[in-house]
Amino acid sequence: MFSWSYFLQQSMNGVILGCIYALLALGMTVVYGILRLINFAHGALITIGAFFVYFIFFRAGINLAASLFLVLGFGGLMGLLLDAVAYRKLRGGPEVALLITSLGFYTFVENFMKMVVSPQPYAFKTPASLAVMYRTPLLTFRSIDIFIIVSSLLIMLAFNLFVKRTRMGIAMRATAENLEVARFMGIEVNRVISLAFVLGSAIAAFTGFLWGAKYGQISYDMGFLTGVKAFVAVVVGGVGSIPGAMVGGFVLGLAEILSTAFLPTRFAEYRDGIVFGILILVLLLRPAGLMGVKEEVRV
Amino acid sequence: MRKRIPTEWYFLLWGVLLFLGVFLANQFLNRYLLYILVLMGIYSIATVSLNLTNGYAGLFSLGHAAFMAIGAYTSTLLTFPLSLREAYELPMLPTFLGGPDAVWPFFPALCMGGLLASLAALLIGAPVLRLRGHYLSVASLGFVVIITTFAKTMKSITRGPMGISAIPSYTNIYWTYLWLFITVYVVWRLVNSRFGRAIMALREDETAAQVLGIYPMKYKLFSFVVGAFFAGVAGGLYAHFTKAIRPFEFSFFLTFQIVVMLILGGMGTIGGPIVGAVSLLALRYALKPLEEHFKIYGLIEIIYAVLLIVVMLFKPEGLVGRRKDTRRVLLGGKSHG
Amino acid sequence: MLNIEHLTVKYGVIPAVMDVSLRVEKGQIVTILGANGAGKTTTLKAIMGVLRPAGGRIYYQGMEVTAVSPVQRVRQGIALVPEGRGIFNRLTVEENLLLGAYCRPKNDAVKKDLEEVYTLFPRLAERKKQVAGTLSGGEQQMLALGRGLMSKPKLLLLDEPSLGLAPLIVRELYALITKIREQGVTILLVEQSAAVALGVADYAYVLESGNLKLSGKPEELKSLEDVKRIYLGG
Repeated sequence: MFSWSYFLQQSMNGVILGCIYALLALGMTVVYGILRLINFAHGALITIGAFFVYFIFFRAGINLAASLFLVLGFGGLMGLLLDAVAYRKLRGGPEVALLITSLGFYTFVENFMKMVVSPQPYAFKTPASLAVMYRTPLLTFRSIDIFIIVSSLLIMLAFNLFVKRTRMGIAMRATAENLEVARFMGIEVNRVISLAFVLGSAIAAFTGFLWGAKYGQISYDMGFLTGVKAFVAVVVGGVGSIPGAMVGGFVLGLAEILSTAFLPTRFAEYRDGIVFGILILVLLLRPAGLMGVKEEVRV
Repeated sequence: MRKRIPTEWYFLLWGVLLFLGVFLANQFLNRYLLYILVLMGIYSIATVSLNLTNGYAGLFSLGHAAFMAIGAYTSTLLTFPLSLREAYELPMLPTFLGGPDAVWPFFPALCMGGLLASLAALLIGAPVLRLRGHYLSVASLGFVVIITTFAKTMKSITRGPMGISAIPSYTNIYWTYLWLFITVYVVWRLVNSRFGRAIMALREDETAAQVLGIYPMKYKLFSFVVGAFFAGVAGGLYAHFTKAIRPFEFSFFLTFQIVVMLILGGMGTIGGPIVGAVSLLALRYALKPLEEHFKIYGLIEIIYAVLLIVVMLFKPEGLVGRRKDTRRVLLGGKSHG
Repeated sequence: MLNIEHLTVKYGVIPAVMDVSLRVEKGQIVTILGANGAGKTTTLKAIMGVLRPAGGRIYYQGMEVTAVSPVQRVRQGIALVPEGRGIFNRLTVEENLLLGAYCRPKNDAVKKDLEEVYTLFPRLAERKKQVAGTLSGGEQQMLALGRGLMSKPKLLLLDEPSLGLAPLIVRELYALITKIREQGVTILLVEQSAAVALGVADYAYVLESGNLKLSGKPEELKSLEDVKRIYLGG
C-alpha cells in the first residue's frame, strides 16, 4: 500500500515536526551543556508562548509580525526569570536535584495555565496569511508548513552564526564544555548562563506559536511530552553537540511520523511509546548519540 | 542523630496500636474521613516503597506510576467478577491462572499485581539502572509513557483509554493499613540489615563500595524490584478503591505527586515518606472545597509544585528527613562518574 | 609584582593551603614545587580569584586583590594556564586562542597578537581551524600557553605544563617559557617535576600538605636532602 505521494506527505510532516524538535533541542542542549540540567521547564515555555500569541494576536488584535517578535521577547524574559529564581541557587548541585526542581517548575506552569487560563483546550486558528493551501500532484501543503521550515532554518542559522562567529557565542560553547576553565579565562559565567536561558526560552516560546498554528489546538498540557521529546532529540543527536541537537530533532521527528505512518494502523497510538523506546535504546546502545562527544551516561 | 533501633517487640506494639487505631477510626469516623484515610494509606505505601529505591538506594526513579499501573490492571483482571466479564469485553483468565471460571480473591490478586510489577522492574531495571543519575530518571519517565501507551493500546486486555470500571470494591481501611504495615516492616527489615548497609554504601560512593565487594547491579536491582512490588500492591489497592482505572491516571503526574510526598516528608527515614503522604493528602482535601467553590482547578497541583520547589531550594531533607541521607542524592556530597 | 601573605584556602572544612606566604618579583620565573595534593593548584586558583581564601591577602602590583573577581584579574593582566591544559576540545585552535583575549576591550590589537602567537608557535598556525581535541599533547600545551598569552598578561600562572609530555617536548616547552619571560612576562610556575622547573626558575617554594616547607634559590634547594625526600627522587 505504498504510494510515493503518501510517503512524501508524511516525510514533510516529519520534517516539520523535526523542525520544531530541532528548535527546542537547541535551547535545551546549550543549557544542558553548561549546567548539566535537563530542563523540563523548557516544555512549559512552549505552552506559555502558544497562549501568549493566542491572546495578543487573536484577542488583542496585534498584527502577526509584531506578535511573533513579542513572543520571542516574552519567552526570553520568562527564561531569565526561571534561571534567576530557581536554578541559580541549585548551581553546582547534583543533577537529580536540578531535574526535580525543573519538573516542579513545569508542573507549576502547567497547572497555572490550567487554573488561570483554561482547563479546556483552545482552538488556534492558523492565521489567514499562513493558511493558504497549495496543491501539487505529489504533495498538499499550506503556507504554514513553509513558514515553519523557513523560520526554523533561519533561527538555526542565526543561532549557529552566533555560537561560531561572535565572541559571546564562542564563550557560550566554551562554558558548555568546561565551566571552570571558562572562568579562568575571565568569562562571566553567570551572564553566559542567563543568555543561554534567554535564547533557548525565546525560541521555545516561538515554537509554541508554530505548534498552535500547525496543529490547530493549544492546551495547558501541550508542553510536557513535547519538551521531553526534545530532550530525547538531544540525546539522539548527541548530548553536548549543537549540530547534534538539530540533527537529532529531525531524526526524531521523521522517525515519529514515519513509523506511525507506515506501521499498521493499530500501531499509530504507539507513537509516544516509540519515541521513548528510541530514547531507552539510544541510552543503552549508543549513549553518545549520533554526533555527540562521549559523556558519562553510565555509572 | 541518635539512631533508634526498634526491636521486633516494638514493631509488634506499633502494629497493635495501628490495628486499634484503624478499628476505632472505622467505628467512629464518617465515610468521607475514612475515604481520605484509606487514600493516605495507599499513597503511603507508594511513597515508602519509592523511598527504598530513591532514598535508600539513591536511584532516582520516576517510573513508579508504571508499576502502580501494572499492579492495578493485573489485580483488576484477576478479581473481575465473571458475570461482568463479557459485558466489559474483558478476557477470561487463561488456564494457568485458573481458567475461564476463575475469579481471584483479593489478597492473592494484589500479590500477583505486585509480582508482575516486580517482573517488569526486573526486565526494565537490568539495562536502565546502569545509567547514571538523571539519565536514569529520564529513562524511567520514558518507561511510564511506554506503559501507559500499552494500556491505551492493548484494548483487548485493558479496554484502552476508556479504562475499566465496576471494579469490585474490596479495599477498605483494614486491608490498606495491613499492607502499609507489611510494607513498612519489609522496608525497615531490609534497611537495617546487611543489605541496607550495602545499598547505602553504594549510594554514597559506588566505587568504594565495589572495592568492598559489593556488586552494584545485584543490590540496585533488588531494591528496585522490591520497591516495584509494593508499588504494584498500592496500584491494586487503588484500583479496588476507586473502582475505576484509566490509563491517564497513571501518568507522570502520579509519580510526581509521590515524589513530592517523598521529598517533602524526607528521604532516608521510614517515617518521612508517611509524613509526606499524609500531609500532602491532608492538604489536598483541605483545599478541595476551595478549589471546587471557586472553580480554580489546578490549585492543588500548583501548591504541590511550589512546595517541591521551596523544599528543594531551602530544605531538601524534607520535614523529617536526615541531611546525611539526602546529601548524596539531592545535595551531592561526593560526585563520581 | 605578586605578594601573597598568610594565604589559607579551604574546601569546605578541609584546609588545602595553610598560611602560605610567597612573593614574585617582576620579570622573574618563580616556581612552586610539591607532591600531589600539596596545594599548588589551589594556590594558583586563589591567585586567579576562582577560589576565595579563608584567610590571608593577595597583593598584585601593590594593590590588594583578595576580593577582586576573576574577570577583573584577567583584565589587570593575570592569566592562568590550567592543569591538564584546560583547552576547549570541541572548539578550534583559533577559537581557543581568541577566547584567551575574551576580556580585552573590543578593538584592541587582538589580531596582531594572534599573529604573534602563531609566530611563536608555528605548529598552531598550521592547525588554525583544527578542532583542539585532535591535537597532540604537546600541541595542546602550546595551545594552552598561547591562549594564556592572548590576554596580554603581565603575570602568567602555569599549572604543571610538563604533565604527560615527553622529555623532548618538555624541553621545547621550557625554551618557549624562557622566551616568554624575555618578552617581559612574569611567570609563576607550578610543577611536580622539580628538576625541570629548577632549571629555569629564579626562585622556588616548596609546599607539602598545604604548608610552605622550604624556599630559596634553585642552587640552594637542589642539594637539600629535604627536597629529595619530598620528591622520592623526583
